[in-house]
Amino acid sequence: MSLSKLPWNHFGPHHPFPDKQKFTSFYRDSLVAPALLPPLGISLPAVFTPVSTMSNSTNMNALSPDEMERFQKLSNNYEPEIQGPLVSAKQSSHGIAMEYANADPTFITKTNALAITHPMTRIMKGDGNCGWRAVAFGYFETLFNLRDPVRVDRELRRFRSLNTLLDQVGQQRELYEIFVDATEELFTQTLTAIHNGDHDETYLVNAFNVEYDSTAVITHFRLLTSAWMKLNPHEYQAFLSLPIDQYCSSRIEPVRTEIDEVGLQALVSGVIQDAGLGVEILYLDRSEGDTVTPHQLSQNCPSGATIRLLYRPGHYDLLYQPEPPPVNMAPIVNYQYGMTSNYTPWDQGTLSFDVHPHLMSIPNLMADSTFGGMGAPMSPISSVSPAPTSPFRVSPTQDLYQSPMQSHAAVPPMPPVSSPPPVMPSAAPPPMTTLPSRSSDGPQIRLNPLVMKPNLSHSLPVTTPFKK
Amino acid sequence: MDYNMEDTQNSAPDALEASKLNSSAQRNDTQSVTKRLQSELMQLMLAPSPGISAFPDADGNLLSWTATITGPAETPYEGLILKLSFAFPNNYPYSPPTVLFKTPIYHPNVDFSGRICLDILKDKWSAVYNVQSVLLSLQSLLGEPNNASPLNAQAAELWDSNQEEFKRHVLARHKDLDDE
Repeated sequence: MSLSKLPWNHFGPHHPFPDKQKFTSFYRDSLVAPALLPPLGISLPAVFTPVSTMSNSTNMNALSPDEMERFQKLSNNYEPEIQGPLVSAKQSSHGIAMEYANADPTFITKTNALAITHPMTRIMKGDGNCGWRAVAFGYFETLFNLRDPVRVDRELRRFRSLNTLLDQVGQQRELYEIFVDATEELFTQTLTAIHNGDHDETYLVNAFNVEYDSTAVITHFRLLTSAWMKLNPHEYQAFLSLPIDQYCSSRIEPVRTEIDEVGLQALVSGVIQDAGLGVEILYLDRSEGDTVTPHQLSQNCPSGATIRLLYRPGHYDLLYQPEPPPVNMAPIVNYQYGMTSNYTPWDQGTLSFDVHPHLMSIPNLMADSTFGGMGAPMSPISSVSPAPTSPFRVSPTQDLYQSPMQSHAAVPPMPPVSSPPPVMPSAAPPPMTTLPSRSSDGPQIRLNPLVMKPNLSHSLPVTTPFKK
Repeated sequence: MDYNMEDTQNSAPDALEASKLNSSAQRNDTQSVTKRLQSELMQLMLAPSPGISAFPDADGNLLSWTATITGPAETPYEGLILKLSFAFPNNYPYSPPTVLFKTPIYHPNVDFSGRICLDILKDKWSAVYNVQSVLLSLQSLLGEPNNASPLNAQAAELWDSNQEEFKRHVLARHKDLDDE
């Protein structure tokens, strides 16, 4: 991008220096940025106008090419003293909107919208590690917020097992040990904080602001990413202009080298994703639209377990959606149990296990997403018959209840079915009686594994409710 | 919601204060740097690489080392003993050591003060490089100079045009420091 082609009034504070993210926090930390602009090459005219006025010249042309070159070199080499913590406390995203108050209208619209959709942010120091730091911090913060010691412990073990990746690409254990130790220390602190019932993530902010140790953690994440890429070259080589080894040694492993898009994808796929956490980037740029552009880096972005990054050219920060209303996630399932348990009795005779109320109340026991949300794990069917093979105790999703009403006429009365006709419970709801007669070209619904019998095929043909 | 905001705002001063507790943090850093350098020294002694060696200076300061490289065979530096100094920063290995040739050397990527132009000692430094890998890189730089960005332009030109003359310059400039 040529600087000279950019219209002056379109400069957002972060826009002119896409590659020099070091400047971003410099701007951010001083809302008096215009007064501090002189060291930057782009503002040379503004700086030297007073000087050249004194020498009776009115513009830049008074400077000889040599002088211009000298000043350009000075400005290129200038590194501002970057202020502020490595990881800030959570703060209002309105601050971002304020920064852009005088910028391009697109930025104003987008940052104002952002302050509503993502009211809180956390600023990363722009020292070349900000993208790495944002993901690493977001990873531990999300783990802490889930408050699940078992999960943290599992993650600790998973990270230990990742050492084999480092060994496979020839990293020396004596050298990477100190980085692994620093990461494990954070897991330990996270466990302690959960056990102590820490109210917020202050311990983590403090830990990430100890530069030596947090750089070790970031280095660990860099090395894991690099190893992951080298071991899965087919996934990344096509996106790189360099051979993958060279790319890793020049763009991933060097200290204070900012993460690029390929590296970020590799970090998410190789290190973060297996934790079951999601990662989403929200791009703030001058592209069309009224809101920042979201991009999902992981397959899923579970609510409450997703790291959200704000990307402005050359810089990453963290974003937070509004806090959910103060409802604990776990009891939602318990409520359902409470509701369904009003239907008595359970068809316990057909189940191969005890319907233990505590088992039923375990959140996420039904990992199958078919049963997520509204689906009650067991349908409340009264059991008059022994129902020896009644395998159709499918979760009564909306589909199943609606299908018979809408498709009765269109379906032949009794097409041949592969599974043995079930003994029908006398009081069973309509879907149970009609299910086996559905033609086989409907969507495949997976059965609840808890009620599945060994002799039952793994999918059950049903008719889509919207089929004519 | 409001409560949450209040909490995090209250936590901010703590966070800042913690980052300013430099005295204890820095002591820890020094310990970590020392530990890392001790481990590197151990490695060099247990598994020495041919043609290179390094040891901390006698002053008991683990942050400065002296190293030697033997000029590799089939290069103009064959058989020459080259001494270097290593100065490690307080945040090693997250910043590279400052490495200088103490022995006068005629080389396209080394200036007459012994300063070296090598990317891994600058912006391509990674925390998994160490004394050993730096010395091995320098050893190979002796036989394969990077003439695209020379510190000694004459040497770069001569390397490409006249190897005989280049070697004469190398030997003329070389001076053993063994008497020190």
